[in-house]
Amino acid sequence: MRNRFVRLWLILAAGAFAQPVSNRKAIPRAADGKPDFSGVWAGPGFTHKVGPHDTDTPSVTNFDPNNFAPYKPGGEALFLQKLTGDVNHDDPTAHCLPDGFPREVLSPYATEILEQPGTVTFLYEYMHFFRVVATDGRPHPKDLDLTFMGDSVGRWEGDTLVIDTIGLKPWPIDAFTTGLVRYHSDALHVIERFQYLDPTTVSLEMTIDDPKIFTRPWSQNFQMKLHPTWKLFEQICEENNRCEAGNCKPADVQQKSK
Amino acid sequence: MKTKLAVWAASLGLVAAAVPAFAHHAFSAEYDSTKPVKVKGVVSKLEWMNPHIWFYVDVAEESGKVTTWGFSGGPPGMLMRRGITKDVLKPGDVIIVEGFRAKDGSNNASGGNVTFADGRKVFAGAAEDVVPKGANGK
Repeated sequence: MRNRFVRLWLILAAGAFAQPVSNRKAIPRAADGKPDFSGVWAGPGFTHKVGPHDTDTPSVTNFDPNNFAPYKPGGEALFLQKLTGDVNHDDPTAHCLPDGFPREVLSPYATEILEQPGTVTFLYEYMHFFRVVATDGRPHPKDLDLTFMGDSVGRWEGDTLVIDTIGLKPWPIDAFTTGLVRYHSDALHVIERFQYLDPTTVSLEMTIDDPKIFTRPWSQNFQMKLHPTWKLFEQICEENNRCEAGNCKPADVQQKSK
Repeated sequence: MKTKLAVWAASLGLVAAAVPAFAHHAFSAEYDSTKPVKVKGVVSKLEWMNPHIWFYVDVAEESGKVTTWGFSGGPPGMLMRRGITKDVLKPGDVIIVEGFRAKDGSNNASGGNVTFADGRKVFAGAAEDVVPKGANGK
């Protein structure tokens, strides 16, 4: 009996000093054997330092110009647009308009993924957006209307979930607003590749294919961390957007002080 | 599971001191970075709401007139994930706040840095800053 406890202790101790798991078998898998990405994630918009109290820190993330492909003639002027002073152009989110895809993915808010056979659903905390992505092999519909989140279809390449998105209206591609705002075109085509690195870490490679702006597609790698203790918070942009576009509405306590 | 615990243990003490830039929208759309504001006063109200928290500070001028300044902080969810809860600022707290004035020139500002009367610092803002130790007010 005592020996058994000693053996158990040794096994526990050995486990505690083991290296992070990169064993493909250890990742969560759905009943159909596909990797299961279900759960609440800290996406690219976080500085990842998962600890005993889930200490990932929200941090706005943008695309890195070092990854950009060369511009097509005229592409740079289309992409890098000077700030005009009109927030509808410079940052429409100041009016609580959507940040759209792919900027939503980079936002410093959590994302919940729900995986079902044939469908992967993304619930984005920021502004309560969602994407329902069919993974049953169907193509994009023809004659798409351009939208903020676009049309996404998914497929599996082994253990990698690949999501293809088109049908996006020209909109800021990320939250960069230092002197310029970066607008993608209506031809933007984004490919996301999700792959487990270990049971709580997923690599997300985003490929930006905007043939009206760049000479070729380019990619940037991000990481996502699973947070079993998190849940999505409510985020209603219109609730108390007091200084919309720089015009502040007096609060009740301010009116009393006058 | 044991491995996960080991990885977690290794990250103990590495409390993030990173830089959350603007969270909901561009800072420049609403605040003037050339007009810094620093006031000392008494907290009169906290609005723990999206898209950004607001807290109000009664500032007594030399003439005796009291002006209520409004300061915008980070989004509630973002602050909670950084260990900052709505108990961080209470009516009656005496604080010094530094931020940048709203573009319309009203008595409103972004409120990046808060210092309590006892010298304790707390970060409640959404703009660039470092999270100080004990930022959760405990």
